[in-house]
Amino acid sequence: MKTLHSHLEDHFEELELVIGWEIGFEPLRATPAFVRRREDLARLVWNPLCAPNLSVYLPQILKSAEKTEKKVAVCLKGCDTRSLTALIQEGFVDRERLHVIGLPCPGTVDPQALAQARKNRAPVTQVSFQDNLLILHSYEGTEEIPLDSVLARRCRRCRQPNPLLADVVLGDPVPARCDAPSFAHVEAVDSLPLEERRAYWERELDRCLRCYACRNACPLCVCRDRCLAESRTPKWTTQRDSVRDKFLFHMIHALHLAGRCTECGECERVCPVGIPVALFKEKMAQIALDLWDYQAGVDPAATPPLQTFDPSETGI
Amino acid sequence: MEKAVFLPDTELHEALAALSADAQVWVPAGDASKPDLVRFQRYRPGLSVRLDARSLVSAKEVLFPRSEALLRFVKEKDLSVPAGHRLHVDDTRTVPPAVVFGCRPCDARGFLTFDRVFLQGPYRDPYYAERREKTTFVSLVCRDADGACFCSAVGSGPADPQGSDAQLIALPDGYVLRAITQRGAALVEKIGRGPTAEQIQAARDMLDQAGREMVGEGSLTAMDAAFRARFQDAAFWHGHIDKCLSCGLCTFVCPTCYCFTITDEARGLSGERIRSWDACMFPHFTLEASGHNPRPSKVERYRNRVGHKFSYFVSKYGQVACCGCGRCIRHCPVSVDIRAVVRDLPVQEEVHA
Amino acid sequence: MDEKNDKQLRIVGFLCNWCSYGGADTAGVCRFKQPPLLRIIRIPCTGRMDPLFVVKALAQGADGVLVSGCHPKDCHYAVGNFYARRRLELVKRFLPFVGLDPRRFHYTWVSASEGQRWQQVVSEFSAVIQELGPNPGFGQDAVTENAPQAVSSQGGAGDTERCISPRSL
Repeated sequence: MKTLHSHLEDHFEELELVIGWEIGFEPLRATPAFVRRREDLARLVWNPLCAPNLSVYLPQILKSAEKTEKKVAVCLKGCDTRSLTALIQEGFVDRERLHVIGLPCPGTVDPQALAQARKNRAPVTQVSFQDNLLILHSYEGTEEIPLDSVLARRCRRCRQPNPLLADVVLGDPVPARCDAPSFAHVEAVDSLPLEERRAYWERELDRCLRCYACRNACPLCVCRDRCLAESRTPKWTTQRDSVRDKFLFHMIHALHLAGRCTECGECERVCPVGIPVALFKEKMAQIALDLWDYQAGVDPAATPPLQTFDPSETGI
Repeated sequence: MEKAVFLPDTELHEALAALSADAQVWVPAGDASKPDLVRFQRYRPGLSVRLDARSLVSAKEVLFPRSEALLRFVKEKDLSVPAGHRLHVDDTRTVPPAVVFGCRPCDARGFLTFDRVFLQGPYRDPYYAERREKTTFVSLVCRDADGACFCSAVGSGPADPQGSDAQLIALPDGYVLRAITQRGAALVEKIGRGPTAEQIQAARDMLDQAGREMVGEGSLTAMDAAFRARFQDAAFWHGHIDKCLSCGLCTFVCPTCYCFTITDEARGLSGERIRSWDACMFPHFTLEASGHNPRPSKVERYRNRVGHKFSYFVSKYGQVACCGCGRCIRHCPVSVDIRAVVRDLPVQEEVHA
Repeated sequence: MDEKNDKQLRIVGFLCNWCSYGGADTAGVCRFKQPPLLRIIRIPCTGRMDPLFVVKALAQGADGVLVSGCHPKDCHYAVGNFYARRRLELVKRFLPFVGLDPRRFHYTWVSASEGQRWQQVVSEFSAVIQELGPNPGFGQDAVTENAPQAVSSQGGAGDTERCISPRSL
């Protein structure tokens, strides 16, 4: 991706660190990259495999970074800029220290969906992208897979593919997949009878390993090492391997994101056992929209609804 | 092949049902709502058994449950004694025999790490020991290593018999099941039918071929000194670990991570003392009562993970505490690659960012 | 609803120290009859209410959760209940999504002088809970959580100070 590299080359003197993505241990794995030397800039990539939301690193990186004139550059997709905005809203990130590279995003790939869509079984040796097609090369030959058929769930309901907040936007704007907030997946669960809904979540949450990947990948889970879920005083959860304890952990996560979650979907992407944990937060977002006409991470000057009040509110 | 039987695909369920008669049988199986999510589950009729797929979590929970009650207690109020209550403790347990059927050689080999600590160390762990004695491991000679696998790099391989009691060798229409230990021979007697000479030959060829295969590059077994030399190199660890999210996924899916915590979980006057999985990637793992944490950040925690597996364990027990299954790499949310970290340990020049 | 279940039903009440706790007291002093389901936890202000209190109580099988505080604009701390009502309404709307019955959760405002109103709130909510019956909660109870009898008393009498060091450890 030429423009990303050339932009960073031009500005590298002003930067202390660049956070972007590089190819991981195999071509289909894009992984976060922390670049501190000019010659490493060439490793950076930007494509629909760049799923991780890099704003998760910002509060800690900025806290530990030395106070210099130099900035920290970070590559953010449309949805990622909402996470950053929410962090700025709550004062966890100093906007002045950042150089935000906004990237209009055509959607990110769901690795499971891609594995199912592939006809060949041989490992992919090379991948390229063209006009919303993924072109996969392996020794069994070349396959073309439409990006739309392997999108992550979060991307199928995306309404913010373009950066809302950036110092520079690289690439042309992308049309949004949804014009209005879409809660179809939440509504599908809501349409079940109450008993079945509970059974559904008991079944799904039973798989939870409590590895806390969902929590740690969440850019707005800012408590980090001080999380309530592991606290023994007060003790919210036990060490039992019971679905109730798993449920309570997920409630802690979800309720602490009420009115704050920007629906980046990282919690669901990283879940090793495929629990649709983002639905909890989407439900919260739906409620926040209904009650207070509020969307998190859209306006850096807005106060999250649960951190303020309105005496004139009626009906609640 | 001294003791071997042929198990046609069509009779697999029958065989598993037969084994279930006198043992808990654990097989890799697809989840009801997510068929591609394969985990070890107790065999029951109708289960979608997936011997062809790599399981997400290792079979470790069979011998080392995610959470097990070591004892149960009840406090009985009694003001005639100084404490104000009497304590009744019950630590009885029953461990049924178990069979792990169709794990990969790396899964079975992972327990050799456990054995060192729980059986051969200064303290013998009775909970683990009892399960270990009653469990038979049947591993499947592995034919589908992926980009994350590296068993050969830790001194094993896709046909490694170590840790397995019997081996399954996949043929086009079934499996040849070969006994390795006496326990395996006892299991083999119960199922399958006599193999034909061709089947034996095909299995032998397959075993040979798999035995020669190298999965993963180089060797990661002699990194003890390199790790110690690298210990203080903050730039090295930051270069590799800045992207780590500090979750416990890698340790929970790992077949050799054996760390645990013990807690009392009580409600009212009764409760249990529980042993559950813990992970060195969690802050509470080393948090001291004073509030001080000797491993304050993910860098120290991940360094410990690498050091434990490739240095401390090696110097204490003479083997690496890693079986090369690649789960920590495959499932990591940000694809942290422990192979790359270990491989870079001895590298002199600055290869990292 | 049979009598046995009726007896076992429990409502957890979170009452603000300044208004509703006083209101409940007033109701008691005035000898207003109330159903016996409620167990009160006094909190300094409804602003102390963590939505997790509600979720955890219901997940563990409390048959109802009642939160009551000062009327809006009457908060002892000026604004605590303004914050609280946003959270409480949010959790009320969230409960059905995870399969917890929202009818089992009620929040309201009762001042210290409103003994009569308190009686009415408790009676009405108790009637709802009686109608709904026992709450299944979320997930199964761990074996010993509700069954202290399940444990044999092999510790033995006179063994009070015994350290937990069973023979096989």
